[in-house]
Amino acid sequence: MSKVANTVASEAAKKLSDAAEKRGRMARWLISGPPLFYLLLFFAIPSLIMVFASIRYAGDYGGLAPVFDEAGKLNLTLENFQRFTSDFIYTAIFLKSLMYAVITTFCCLLMAYPLALLIARSPKKYRDLLILLVILPFWSNFLIRVYAWMIILGPQSGLTQAVNYVLGLAGIEPVRLLFTAFSVIVGLVYVHLPFMVLPLYANLEKHDPALVDAAQDLGASAWQRFWRITFPLSLPGVYAGAALVFIPALGIFAVSDILGGTGSDMIGNVIKQQFLETRDWPFGSVLSIVLTVAALVAAGIAVLVAKPRRTA
Amino acid sequence: MTKVIRRPLGLWLVALAVYAFLYVPLIIVVVYSFNDSQLNAEWVGFTLDWYRKLFHNDEMLKAAGNSLMIALVASAASTLLGTMAGFAMHRYKLKLLPLLVLTPIAIPEILVGVSLLIFFVMLNITLGLVSIALAHIAFCIGFVAIVVRSRLSGMDESLTEAARDCGATPMQAFRLVTLPLIMPGVVAGALMAFTLSIDDFVITFFTAGANASTLPLQIYSMIKIAVTPEVNAVSTLLMGLTLLLIIIASKLAPNAIRSS
Amino acid sequence: MKKLLTVATLLFASISAQAADELRLYNWNNYIAPETVQRFEAFCKCKVVQTYYGDNEEMLAKLAAGAKGYDIIVPTGNALDALIKQQALLPLDKSQLPNLKNVNPAYLNTDFDKGNKYSVPYAYTVTLMGYNDQKMKELGIPVDSWAAIFDPKILVKIKGKVTVLDSANELMAAALKYLGYSANDTDEAHWQQAKDVILKAKPYWAAFNGSSYIKELTVGNIWLAHGYSNDIFQADVDAQKAGRKFHIRHAMPKEGAVLALDSMVIHKAAPRPDLALKFINFMLDGKNAAELSNLIGSGNPNADAARYIKPEIANNPAIFPDKAGFAKLEMLKDLNSKQRRAMNRMWTEIRAR
Repeated sequence: MSKVANTVASEAAKKLSDAAEKRGRMARWLISGPPLFYLLLFFAIPSLIMVFASIRYAGDYGGLAPVFDEAGKLNLTLENFQRFTSDFIYTAIFLKSLMYAVITTFCCLLMAYPLALLIARSPKKYRDLLILLVILPFWSNFLIRVYAWMIILGPQSGLTQAVNYVLGLAGIEPVRLLFTAFSVIVGLVYVHLPFMVLPLYANLEKHDPALVDAAQDLGASAWQRFWRITFPLSLPGVYAGAALVFIPALGIFAVSDILGGTGSDMIGNVIKQQFLETRDWPFGSVLSIVLTVAALVAAGIAVLVAKPRRTA
Repeated sequence: MTKVIRRPLGLWLVALAVYAFLYVPLIIVVVYSFNDSQLNAEWVGFTLDWYRKLFHNDEMLKAAGNSLMIALVASAASTLLGTMAGFAMHRYKLKLLPLLVLTPIAIPEILVGVSLLIFFVMLNITLGLVSIALAHIAFCIGFVAIVVRSRLSGMDESLTEAARDCGATPMQAFRLVTLPLIMPGVVAGALMAFTLSIDDFVITFFTAGANASTLPLQIYSMIKIAVTPEVNAVSTLLMGLTLLLIIIASKLAPNAIRSS
Repeated sequence: MKKLLTVATLLFASISAQAADELRLYNWNNYIAPETVQRFEAFCKCKVVQTYYGDNEEMLAKLAAGAKGYDIIVPTGNALDALIKQQALLPLDKSQLPNLKNVNPAYLNTDFDKGNKYSVPYAYTVTLMGYNDQKMKELGIPVDSWAAIFDPKILVKIKGKVTVLDSANELMAAALKYLGYSANDTDEAHWQQAKDVILKAKPYWAAFNGSSYIKELTVGNIWLAHGYSNDIFQADVDAQKAGRKFHIRHAMPKEGAVLALDSMVIHKAAPRPDLALKFINFMLDGKNAAELSNLIGSGNPNADAARYIKPEIANNPAIFPDKAGFAKLEMLKDLNSKQRRAMNRMWTEIRAR
């Protein structure tokens, strides 16, 4: 008698768990489906067109050469990739851009962290306003913001004159602030700063003040409270911010176009030139692929590095 | 004993310095919108002419309006899709979605712009404001997803579990427990998406039609001649308008935007 | 439901009817006077919808990727060359362009559009040098030659105060002219020489800048700039307005310079070629054509326009070159894909070192 009851019970249980599993799978599709399909349709498929272009020839006066030539033969080539690997200059520029992007990310982190921390710890009624104030400047146009930096860093500006005055006291030759690597980095940091502040804030905001209080009660100094508790807890925010700064900073070209001197071309500039000067879409596609893969690999490495640190 | 929220003087000073860094260029932008100089390279004199000119410049105003509209639509849609993506990436062990979400951020805009144009032409989609919005949503999703995901990671799952134990359906648990908890992340993502969309040039250039323009397109086309103070004026107005919109929205729907 | 359908159809019809009487102009920004546009709209009883590009190559890339919907485009010489070779243009029906006779014959029959099958000249600029006359006089720098930008002996006096255009074509053309070759020379060896000249001069240059150099000139941060004649005109206007004690003058180098001729063309997929032809004929009228020159100081290929142009612009030899000056000007031809690649490789090296 009990055996039958057991089987019925276990069958019923199995039916329930099957239904739950089915609902779980459906939920999974309902949630991940729409963004997946949208990105497949409006990003992945179009991009594959241009990725495919990397093995085609450039059109004689622009665009791409047809995939099949007049004889009906397949008109594809690997020469664009060979060009990248055989010519070191592109890798050199690439490495330089990596360096700029790393410096930018680091500076953004140093500057954004105190700001995000302050806002996160402010009274609730001020937080929204303070965060809005961070992003407000970035609703003005990019060009005029960067042009404003041309004014701030120009040779006749107060800042430059002050800097050179101080240098003069130390007996150093006056320096130029504009059209240098310095002005490019300042521009890069400026343009990317909100994308470090916002993720950091989103993370710091949820920290329980009780943890820090407890540490203080146990005798931890301010620095120890920060370094042993706040910072480790904020790491997901740090990584998110770093990704949202480092990856775009790798490929940007506008800042160095405007604020850069004669030696500040980044890989983004070279890629832009392929599309908008040389009309060499295939090579531009190759450089873009290398850039994208490098960025994704960097992100992947960061994720791997982040994982083992689960222990608080 | 209630502890005061820790905001030492040192922190205040550094934070204020960063705010200054953010705002000095902006102050220049606003001040120079009153500059009596076509090239706007240095301060010449005060004038309201540029604002007057702006109000008669139908094209520029229409472009600004288009930018605002597209940014609102794109940020709304990408916040929705991005939050879903961020949640899905956190909850399930997905392989394809994280890649699809991260790549638009990494890939150079020119490539995306040209490929979307070719794609739209292939499908015979007329270029216009809609094509621009579709393009913007694609690259904004990633920013929202990453922030939402980072907000979710380390979140206390026990709260959601407790809600489920109390009989809430997954939908209710999400809506009443998870969503309020991740709201600052969602809002941060929405703000980023809005910012990206309203100022985008490269992708917008390629996906725009022959009869529709956005503000960045107007402005960048002036780059070789002269970016006059009229641009500063329209930027100042747009910033002010957007700020106003957000303040109004937060008053009308205080719970939706307030951090938890 | 039926009512809704009728309303919808009427609405749609009215929108399409509106769209049908639109002329889509794809042009440089500020490259047509607003008064001219308004007058044309009254004349043709249609609407002119303008969208803009800031660079020929942007326009070319967009068209090469398949963008349509434009009636009139205004490409510069080598971009026109490319468009014709890509067969992207509609041949012009000359019977509808009686005002064509107004054009100065010196600007017709260019190498890439013999017989003006596809294009009609619109405006031109010369790529030369703009300089701060006070500073150049002070330092005793000769401004009649490209040497001012390329000769290290001269450059050492103005180190960090010089900008050059960030266009590979323009800079190489200037260097080739300086060396005495044609701006369209495609000999590898000559290109190498030009590259060496550029690399030797580069350390003295402040930046490669194609957009904000006029600002820097006006303010006095830069004393010598490689730039376009209409930009330099604008810089002087602004400098005077700002009360600067110096003038920004044009320097036409004796070795010659590049002439950038912009033309009106009709895209082969133009929705309204009839309106486009009307527009071209309208712009070929002297009075209409002159308005652009008066607005931005651009050169005008329309002989009939001369009497309507402000004298200070019409008499400026850098904006309106005389016969001798004109003989030394060359229009840049488009390069084929192999040459463009070689050029870009050189350019990348120049910019990276």
